[in-house]
Amino acid sequence: MIRILIPSVWSPDGRTAYEGAEGPLPDVVRRFADDHPWIKGRLFGPDGAPLLHVNLVVDDELVPRRKRDAAVVGAGSTVTILAPMAGG
Amino acid sequence: MVPVPGGTFQQGSPPWVLDLLEASDQPLPRVWFADETPPHTVTVRPYWIDRHPVTVAEFAEFAERTGHVTDAEERGFGLVYTEKGWREVDGVCWRAPGGPGTSSAGMGDHPVVHVSWFDCVSYAEWAGKRLPTESEWEYAARGGAEFRLWPWGDEWDVRNANTAEFHAGALNALGGWKAWWEATCAEDGPIPRTTPVGAFSKQGDSPFGCADMAGNVYEWTSTLSHLYDDATECDPSVRAAMGRYRVIRGGSWMNFRHQTRCSERMHGDPTGWSSFAHGFRCAKDA
Repeated sequence: MIRILIPSVWSPDGRTAYEGAEGPLPDVVRRFADDHPWIKGRLFGPDGAPLLHVNLVVDDELVPRRKRDAAVVGAGSTVTILAPMAGG
Repeated sequence: MVPVPGGTFQQGSPPWVLDLLEASDQPLPRVWFADETPPHTVTVRPYWIDRHPVTVAEFAEFAERTGHVTDAEERGFGLVYTEKGWREVDGVCWRAPGGPGTSSAGMGDHPVVHVSWFDCVSYAEWAGKRLPTESEWEYAARGGAEFRLWPWGDEWDVRNANTAEFHAGALNALGGWKAWWEATCAEDGPIPRTTPVGAFSKQGDSPFGCADMAGNVYEWTSTLSHLYDDATECDPSVRAAMGRYRVIRGGSWMNFRHQTRCSERMHGDPTGWSSFAHGFRCAKDA
């Protein structure tokens, strides 16, 4: 299993931590959105393509946009979803 | 520019401010504001800071003289908040802040928007200035060591700043904000609701005479995002921004009143990202 962290203001009840299954990073994010449809518009455009201005941090390492497709999230890892503007 | 005497102050918000926010009719959770605590002692040396954000006309002169191409122009898109949320929109840039078919011509006295952190640093260097640190920004907004919620004092007045509430009336829930923005977009599209710099002077100015420090545009600072105290319990996405993003101050025309306070902090991705609500002002050493 992996941990997925999101901004508190994105979730309907302020929850920030979720669990997911390990695997390729794009699949992890898409599965998470499928499981939690309220977040889909934050992560994917109307055409279904990932919104690249949303940053992804895996185990404290920011995954560059060009490397996202090849990134794999291992068991026990944490994926943090980070908007281009955070806080306040 | 206005001169700011150096001084020592308690940067950040005391605990009563978070209590106030939690008890207020605003929709954001307490943890969202935790990064502005605890207050801590900071000393700033004397400096100068722009009286208002850099305008479209000032940035146009910079672009014309240097040939500077902004990150948004280079990439061919910028971020605009649509009815569906933040979206990368082709053709959006400081010259066309709402996208193709829009123009900043005629908005010379408005703050420039769609400028990335690098664009702002480039402008500042060209102008013989620099971005303010967040400490300098907060000290200038408060007008010295005295704590105050907004540049003019502790009492909110919608007539003092360009916030979402200036446009929409009192807002106390995300749903109300969304309804206002959807109606606005339906009327004439997702164009920025900036106002001419200084439009809220003098009643909205800080004691040092700085205008538009609450609202109008978010303002980039030079400060690398960090927590005032590593032990602060904060939103996980805010924590993830630390050491990566740059501090943004002042809130914008998009925000609720409480997001435009002097000690309010936001954190922006400095790797080329910009939006139709982001601008900046400059500072320089005295």
